[in-house]
Amino acid sequence: MIEYVQSILLIISAFLIIVSAIGLISLSGNTRNVVYGRIHIVGVFDIACIIAMIALGQYLLAGIYFILAPFTAHAIANAYWKKEDRENNVDLLTVEEEVDENHPFIHPKEKMQALESENSEKLKADDRFSVTTITIDEGE
Amino acid sequence: MDILIISEYILVIALVIMMLASLRASAYRSTSMGLLGSSVIVNAFAVALLIGGSLYNLEFFRDISLALIFFGFVGTIAFAVTLGGEDK
Repeated sequence: MIEYVQSILLIISAFLIIVSAIGLISLSGNTRNVVYGRIHIVGVFDIACIIAMIALGQYLLAGIYFILAPFTAHAIANAYWKKEDRENNVDLLTVEEEVDENHPFIHPKEKMQALESENSEKLKADDRFSVTTITIDEGE
Repeated sequence: MDILIISEYILVIALVIMMLASLRASAYRSTSMGLLGSSVIVNAFAVALLIGGSLYNLEFFRDISLALIFFGFVGTIAFAVTLGGEDK
């Protein structure tokens, strides 16, 4: 009798795992908030694994996994929100550029663009920059 | 064949399918998806080891599975904290 209960639990967990695998694949990459959706799907997989562990008689492992799985999901979602979620996190869209004026190698982008423009006064005044054109005549 | 053994084999096949699916999902462009996919693969492998241990009556497979689950969790948390950075 116990074998039948174990078998039913294992088959239920296998069904849940296959459903979560199909869900993980079928979510398109262009969907909004796809990472959170996939984390949610992995939650189904975690519960399926816990059911399988209970069916196999590993109650301690199932308890440990039951406690640890939400921490993992939350940590991944938190890291994604902080650094990579440009759809929802407004702080990631504003890039603060703090460049020291006196730094010998790093210069602000606006300053470099002003220097490189054709109407730059400094470029005209500086003798080090000169533009030469060479004409090649093939007849000679 | 015993129905329990058949269901264990079915579960192993499902776990292999889940590993391939999470491998595909971890190729998404964000680092967090790679982290999630590797975490799923480790947990699926741990459960598959448990099933292998019960099929062949090997006790130490359970210990390896426990180590995989625990250290997989620690690695995932450490990587996620490093990825997230400090709080403002």
